[in-house]
Amino acid sequence: MNQILFTNVNVFDASGEMPYAGEVLVQDNKIARVSKAINGMRNLPSSGQTVIDGAGCFLMPGMVEAHTHFSWNDQPSLDAIQRMPPEEHILWCAQVAKQYLDMGWTSCVGAAAAKPRLDVVIRNAVNDGTIIGPRYTAPSQEITVPGGLGDSTQPHLPQSEFAFGAVVSGSDEMRRCVRMFCKYGVDTLKINLSGESITGMSSEQSQFTEEEITTCVQEAKSWGKWVAAHARSTWSVKQCVKQGINVIYHASFLDNEALDLLDQHRHSHFIAPGLAWLINTCYNAKEFGLTKEVVQKMGYFKELDAAIESMRALHKRGVHIMPGGDYGFAWTPHGTNAKDLEYFVKHVGMSNMEALLSATTWGAPMMRSAEPLGQIREGYLADLLLIDGDPMTDITVLQDKFRILAVMKDGKFHREPPSLTQRGQPGRPSVPTRWAA
Amino acid sequence: MTTTQFTNVRIIDGTGSAPYTGSVLVEGKRIKHISRSTAPISSGDALTIDAAGSTLMPGMCEAHTHFSWNNAANLAGIQTMPLEEHVLWSAKVAKIYLEAGWTSCVGAACAKPRLDVVIRNAINSGQIPGPRYLAASQEITVPGALGDETLPHLPFPEFSFGANVNGAEDMRKTVRMFLKYGVDCIKLNLSGDNFTPDSPAETHWMTDAEVAAAMEEVKMRGKRGTAHARSGPSVQQALRHGIEIIYHASFCDEKTLDLLEAAKDKVYVVPGIGIIHALLNEAEPWGVTRVQAESMGYAIEWEAALKSLSAMHKRGIRVMPGGDYGFAFTPHGQNARDLEFFVRYLGFTPMEAIRSCTLYGGQIMLKPNELGLVKEGYLADLLLIDGDPLTNLAILREPSRILAVMKDGVFAKHPPTSRAMPWERAA
Repeated sequence: MNQILFTNVNVFDASGEMPYAGEVLVQDNKIARVSKAINGMRNLPSSGQTVIDGAGCFLMPGMVEAHTHFSWNDQPSLDAIQRMPPEEHILWCAQVAKQYLDMGWTSCVGAAAAKPRLDVVIRNAVNDGTIIGPRYTAPSQEITVPGGLGDSTQPHLPQSEFAFGAVVSGSDEMRRCVRMFCKYGVDTLKINLSGESITGMSSEQSQFTEEEITTCVQEAKSWGKWVAAHARSTWSVKQCVKQGINVIYHASFLDNEALDLLDQHRHSHFIAPGLAWLINTCYNAKEFGLTKEVVQKMGYFKELDAAIESMRALHKRGVHIMPGGDYGFAWTPHGTNAKDLEYFVKHVGMSNMEALLSATTWGAPMMRSAEPLGQIREGYLADLLLIDGDPMTDITVLQDKFRILAVMKDGKFHREPPSLTQRGQPGRPSVPTRWAA
Repeated sequence: MTTTQFTNVRIIDGTGSAPYTGSVLVEGKRIKHISRSTAPISSGDALTIDAAGSTLMPGMCEAHTHFSWNNAANLAGIQTMPLEEHVLWSAKVAKIYLEAGWTSCVGAACAKPRLDVVIRNAINSGQIPGPRYLAASQEITVPGALGDETLPHLPFPEFSFGANVNGAEDMRKTVRMFLKYGVDCIKLNLSGDNFTPDSPAETHWMTDAEVAAAMEEVKMRGKRGTAHARSGPSVQQALRHGIEIIYHASFCDEKTLDLLEAAKDKVYVVPGIGIIHALLNEAEPWGVTRVQAESMGYAIEWEAALKSLSAMHKRGIRVMPGGDYGFAFTPHGQNARDLEFFVRYLGFTPMEAIRSCTLYGGQIMLKPNELGLVKEGYLADLLLIDGDPLTNLAILREPSRILAVMKDGVFAKHPPTSRAMPWERAA
């Protein structure tokens, strides 16, 4: 049996309790024992296991990214993502999947793929060990309407291969499209219900008829799948609640009615605003032509204000919101996802504790895992991070790969903690090594 | 710049000369210094590997590689793998080859148009681990020949394992397409194969006009042609059109042997006899009994091939290992078995077998003056082997005996060091 004992760690168990000095025993892929240190005494037996002396480091559950796009390739436009050939694209996705795990995201909720099968293949390849990556729920492409967000065809290039999303019109086409993705094996259908200002259709506008949305949700449900929506506009968020769409992305523009709806149905929906996109489009995309004037004209400053107000209101009402969203553009590169937690603290009014909970306990049910995860608790899956530093006082340590000392997924180290013998790496000291040939 | 030194190694330098004991210093991606003393060369900050007398040899070259063959028992089983899975599979296989000691591979055909090119590029950019690689096209074939896996009621090109062409102009267009995609080698199926009973090994299929059109385009772009050529006439056809890498060459009469010998400074023969051996003797779990294999003509081909290849070796024609690993009965990673077959069946000495994948490897990879030998100034593609491959070549296909693999001065497989000892960690 695989047994690993973390001793001398500061345990953040994600139950809501303050971190405590203690020990955590992992057996195979589960957390077997969690114990609080009493007067510094070791109280779990430590023979026969690998013992990790955490030297007081912070042990927390692996994080859940609630809105992941492995196939976004750090480019500045949807078109540049779409143009990558499928062979290169799948290798890219594999590379990004590993990067997420490197950065402590042991679970990711896929929010749309750029080509029909990319995410399904990556999920399967992670599960069968072909590649290294987090737990993953695989989404479809974005389903959209002609002219909507994700329809990147042009009048003279109308072929569907040019479209970033899957373009449908009418209930029958929607049904066929949903069935195709279900056949391919997705876990989630992604539907674009609102516009997106950068594409020309304002984020406050909406697309799809109620009938089309109903068809999507019904068909998805009959296959046992979830539906996730790109929903920035007020109308689209209300549709999510009305139609029972499980995951609501963005939710920037909320009126009181929308807030009440989300409040009343807080247990049936997961909300991930993806603030990084708005913040970085507004302030960090100048070199890609998104100057203050351009962004102003597009309406992103207005949307950022609205989104922050909406999220603050939701948070004040105790409605959970989750981190992640639209990393994988040039100005929101993959791997910087933990910035969302900083944004939650800075802009939404969360405590560090709440931000950590949003990345663990709150988001965990989105993985639909048969076995529980997202907390350090007996019987839970052993997805663990060992952090050099205290995220309870400085949430930004989670953005630094070198501060994430170890990443464990399913009871196995993806990144091992630095050992005594590895000290001095990566400069590699001149220590002669000796072994028997 | 990283520096690594191997002290106390028994060096097989790949030229065919006798092994000697010494130390080797690698600086950056090249072999900087070789000494005949077991003592360390550098007292600087080099990572020192005390090899305790194990063997250091050049990385090996597999001269007939199919990363995209997916260990299925037939061509259709390879072809039906979806594109996305196929890329990830090929990436996985590339890593297997490197870790098995094949630091160079000559792509001999891929199962979908861009697979090999994409894998080569991903290796070169550092995105995935893998050997040096020359990327191949799909097999180019003609209707009805080896590689045409379309069925009468499913005539779609996507169902075809190879690229089907008909006529010189069709050939030219197809070759241009692959050249556009960026291949290093164009693969032509000149002969049939006993694996496909309707187009057996001793048949040949392409017109000279078709082959000429292909090779004209290939030469114009400075690339190479490779040929699946089992029959004598197909080998002659390959030579006639300047194809330098000849796969199989099972049935070679005196005239064909003479022609090969006349071109021996240019030509490489890579027979891939492992698969014939496997089909005759080991493929029963996949439904190919000895009786069936014989009825497919494999016993006859085996005899002919041993005779042809032994004669080639005697005449000094470069015969290299590799070939058609990636089927169920010849799984990827067992490729070094070819070396044993060369000794057992073709009259090679073990040293000649090693030379065939080291010295010749540098040559076929088009780096004759910097790859394939343990020599100062050469690229540091090195294997550290537990034991003496000259006494027992079989250790070269035993992962636990391949202690370390270095490509371009960087370990692809780290030697076991104190890292591997049981650990207790403190953060």
